[in-house]
Amino acid sequence: MDSRKSDLLQGTLDMLILKIVALQPIHGYGIAQRIRQISKDVLQVQQGSLYPALHRLKKRGLLRAEWSEAETGREAKFYTLTKTGRKQLEDESANWDRLSAAISMIMRGPAEE
Amino acid sequence: MWFGRRNPNGDLARELRYHFDGLVRDFIAAGIEPEEARRRARLEFGGMEQISEECRDVRGHWLKDFGKDLSYATRTLRRSPVFLVVSVLSLALGIGANTAIFSLINALMLRSLPVKDAQHLVYVTRVDPDNKPLHVSWQLFEYFRDHLKSISDATAERQEHFAITIDGTDEIVSGSLVSSDHYRVLGVEPIAGRLLEAADDTIAPGNSAAVVSYRFWERRFGLNPAVIGKTFTIAGHTNAFTVVGVTAQGYHGAVIGSDPDITLPLRTMLSAEERNEPTLNNLNMLGRLAPGVTRQQANAELQVLWQAWKQRIAATLPEIDRPSFLRERAAVLSGRNGFDPLRDRYSEALFVLMGIVCLVLLLACANVSGLSVARTASREREISIRLAIGASHSRLVRQSLTETLVLVALGGSAGLLLGRWFSAVLITTMAAGETVTLAVGPDWRVLTFTITISLAACALTGLAPSLHGLRSGLHLGLRQFKTSGHQRLGRALVIAQLSISMALVTGAALFGATLVKLYTVDRGLRTDGILTFSLRTDGKCPAERCRAATISLLERLKTLPGVASASAVDVLPVSGSLWDRDVQVQGYTFRPGEDQTVAFNAIAPKFFATVETPLLKGREFDSRDTRASTKVAIINESFACYFFGLKSPLGRSVTSANVTYEIVGVVANAKYTDLKQAPLKTMYIPWTQRTEEEPMDFNFLVRATPGDPLRLSGAIETLVRQMDPALRLNATASWSTVVDRTIVTERMMAGLGGFFGLLALIIVGIGIFGVMAFRVSRRANEIGVRMALGASRAGILNMVLRETVAILMAGCAAGTFVALSMTRLTRALLFETSPADPRIIGMAAILLIFAGLLAGWLPARRAARVDPMIALRCE
Repeated sequence: MDSRKSDLLQGTLDMLILKIVALQPIHGYGIAQRIRQISKDVLQVQQGSLYPALHRLKKRGLLRAEWSEAETGREAKFYTLTKTGRKQLEDESANWDRLSAAISMIMRGPAEE
Repeated sequence: MWFGRRNPNGDLARELRYHFDGLVRDFIAAGIEPEEARRRARLEFGGMEQISEECRDVRGHWLKDFGKDLSYATRTLRRSPVFLVVSVLSLALGIGANTAIFSLINALMLRSLPVKDAQHLVYVTRVDPDNKPLHVSWQLFEYFRDHLKSISDATAERQEHFAITIDGTDEIVSGSLVSSDHYRVLGVEPIAGRLLEAADDTIAPGNSAAVVSYRFWERRFGLNPAVIGKTFTIAGHTNAFTVVGVTAQGYHGAVIGSDPDITLPLRTMLSAEERNEPTLNNLNMLGRLAPGVTRQQANAELQVLWQAWKQRIAATLPEIDRPSFLRERAAVLSGRNGFDPLRDRYSEALFVLMGIVCLVLLLACANVSGLSVARTASREREISIRLAIGASHSRLVRQSLTETLVLVALGGSAGLLLGRWFSAVLITTMAAGETVTLAVGPDWRVLTFTITISLAACALTGLAPSLHGLRSGLHLGLRQFKTSGHQRLGRALVIAQLSISMALVTGAALFGATLVKLYTVDRGLRTDGILTFSLRTDGKCPAERCRAATISLLERLKTLPGVASASAVDVLPVSGSLWDRDVQVQGYTFRPGEDQTVAFNAIAPKFFATVETPLLKGREFDSRDTRASTKVAIINESFACYFFGLKSPLGRSVTSANVTYEIVGVVANAKYTDLKQAPLKTMYIPWTQRTEEEPMDFNFLVRATPGDPLRLSGAIETLVRQMDPALRLNATASWSTVVDRTIVTERMMAGLGGFFGLLALIIVGIGIFGVMAFRVSRRANEIGVRMALGASRAGILNMVLRETVAILMAGCAAGTFVALSMTRLTRALLFETSPADPRIIGMAAILLIFAGLLAGWLPARRAARVDPMIALRCE
C-alpha cells in the first residue's frame, strides 16, 4: 500500500466531509472513496474517524441522513447538506483559504531578503 | 427505515456493513481472491464495535445514563432515610395542598356541567349591580323563552326541600323543580325509566310524575328497579307523585354543589300567584344559544326585549315601586358551569388559599433545596473524586437533578392522594352541615396541574444544589478547610424559608385575630344557650288552626321545665337573612335619592328579654298587641338617631306598605344579617300584626336554663305532637350553630391558616436544624481547637446560637417585607383587623424566632459536647 499517506489536520475532516456531501447526496463508503480519489490517495479517512464525524455533524444539524437505494441496488444511508451545513461549509472554506494562503506565505519565506 | 429510526445501533451496523461490503467489492474488482479480499477489508476497517462505541458517545446515551442515575439516586436516598422522609413529606404536603385547592377551584369555576354541549349554555337572567345572576319570575321566563330568538331552548329551575311520605314513612328530601324541557335542553339521559317530559308539566290535578337521583335511588331503595311506579305524597300538595325514572349517576342537577334527591315538574308545583305575578322572581333560568349566535349577540337582543318588558310591567305597578323596578338589569351570562351559589361565596377565600398553598410549596422547595445543599456539601469528596476520574460536570448535574426528580415524583404521588383527602375535608367544612356534592375527583386539569407544579418544584428544588455542586468541584473538594459557598447558599435558603414562613404565620395570625374579633364583637344579643326551630305541617292542617297552634305553643313552651324564656321571630338574626322595607317617617323628609329602606322584623312578645337585648325606652310587645289593636313598632338606636336625632321617638309614627305604626319602644342595636355587618336601622313589629302571611314560618327561640339547649328538643317535639298531630318540628338547632354557619369562610381560613402556619414553623425548624447541624459537623475541628485552647462549653453553645440568631434576625427582617406585601391581598377576608398591624407581625416574628432557637439549640448543644481529643484526632 501507499506509504506516503498524510495525517489530516485536526478539524479539517469535518470540512472535507461537508465539501464532498455538498457535491451530491452520498453514503459513508462513497465519502471515503471520494476523498481518496480526489486527493490521489494522499488522504485516507479511517472508518473509525469517519462515522463518528458523520454522527457529530448530523447531531449539529449540518447533515441530514436518509436511506435510499444505491447504485449497487442495495439500500444505503445517504447524507445531504442542510441549510446550516451549507452555511458552515462556506464559512469554513473561506477560513481555510485564508489560513492556507497565510501558511504558504510563511513557508515560502519572505521574498525580498 | 422505521427499524433504523427505532434502533440507532442497528442503523449504524447496517451502514457499516454497507461500507465493508463496498471495500470487499473493490478488492475483488482489483483482482484479489474473495477470501483474501475480505481479510484485507477487515484489516483496513478496524474494530466494528469500537466504531459504534465512538458513534454512541457522539450521540450520547441519556436513556441508559438516566437509568443508571435513577438506580444510583434510589440507592443513595435509601442510605439517608431521614432526609428522604423529611423531603418527601414536605413536598407531599406542598403539592397535596396545591392539588386540593386547585381541585376545588376547578370544580367550582373551571369544570363544565356534565351535560351535552355545556359551552353553549347561558344564563338568561336579571343581574345585580356586580353582574351576578339573580332570579326570574315564571312570567319573565316564559317571555324570554318565547321571544328571545338567540336561544334555541330554555329551562327554569328552583331548589327547595320537601317533606314527603313514601312507603308510609316521613322524610325530608332535597328537591329540584324543573321546567318541562329541562332534561332535553341539558341532554341528560335516564339510567332507568324515563325523565320528565312536556306532558308531565300540567296544572291539572291528579297524579304527577317525579324523577329521583341516582344517589337517592341508591340510598333509599338500594338500586331496586321497583322504584319506578312508586307513589308518594308531599306535605302541602294534594297531588300524588309517581316515580317515572332515575337520572344518570354523573348528573348532579344544574346547581353546583347540590344534588337534589327528587325532581318534579315546575309548573305543576308553582302556586297560582307564582305563575301569574311578573315580579315574583324565584327561578334560575338557563338557555342554549342558537347555532352560530354568540353570547354578545344574544345579550344585545335581550336588552331590547328587557326594556319592552320593563315598560309594560312598570305601568301595572304602584307608583312607589316603579323607580326601583326600572333600575333593574338583565343579561346573558356564560352558563357552562351551571348555577353556582358556592362560587360566589367562596371564590375570594379560595384564591387567597391558592396563594397560601403556593407559598407552602415554595417553602417546601426551599427546605428540600437547603437540605440537599447540605448533603451535597457533605458529599463533596465523593463528587470531587468522580470529577477527577472523568465524570463530566453536566453528568453530575443530571445526576443530582435525577435525585430531586425521584424526591418530587414520590412527593407528587403522595401529594395527589393527600390532596383528595384534603379537598374532601375542605368541602365538609365549607358545607357547614348542608349536603354539598362537588365533583372534585382528579380530572385531566387537576392531573396536569399537579404534574406541572411537581415539575416546577423539581426545577426549583434541584437547580440550586446542582449548580452549586458544579461550582464547587475539583478545586475545592479535595482540600480540607474551605467553602464559604455552601454556607452562603445554605444560609440564603434558610432566610428564604424564614421569609415565606413569616408571611404564612402572619396570615394565620390575621385570620385567627379575625375569628376572635367575630366571636367577641358586641352582637347586641346573646345567641348561646338558645334553641331555635320552626314548625311545618303535614299539609292537612288548615291555616287558621296552624296559626292558633303556633300562638298557643309559645305559651306552653314557657311552662316546660328547663326553659328560662321563649319567644319567636320572623327572620332569625345573624343567620344570613335580611328582610327590609321602604318606610316613611313622620317628621322626616327624605332627600331625593336617599335610601328609604330599613331592616324589618316581626317578633313575638318577650323577644328582647329572651335574646337579652337591652330595652332603652318604652315597652316590649305583649298580649295587648293583637291584630285588632293599634299597630305598634319598636325601633333600635340606629333608627332613632337617624330619623329623630335627640328627640324622643316614642309616640311618633312610621308608615310602611300603607300601614302606619306607632313607636312604643327603643332597643339597643344588635347584629341583623351577620356578624360582620354594622348595625342596621331596624324596625320591629308584633308578629300578630304582620300583614302578608299568617304567623307560620316563625323561628321559635327557647332560652334554656344553663346547659346544652339541644337537650330540650325531645321534650319540645313531644309537646308539639300533643298540641296538634299535624305539626312537626323543623330545622332544630342551637342558635350558636346557625351563627357559626354564617362565618364558615372565616372559620375555615382561621383553621387552614393556622394549620399552614404551624406547618411553616415545623418546616423552617427542620431547615434551620439541618443547616446548623451541618455547620457544626463541618466545624468540629475548629471547635475542638477552641476547646483545647480553653473555650468553655457555654462559650461554644453561645457561639453557635449567635449564628442561629443572626440568621433568624435576617430572616425576620426579610419576612416582614414579604408578609406586608402578601397579607394586603387578604384584606377582604379580614374583620376589624389590619393586615399591617405591628402587633400581629411582631407576634409572628416572635413565634418564628422561638421555633428557630429551638431548632438551633439541638446542634448547638451537640457542638458544646464535642470532645476536643476526638475532634482533633479525626483529621
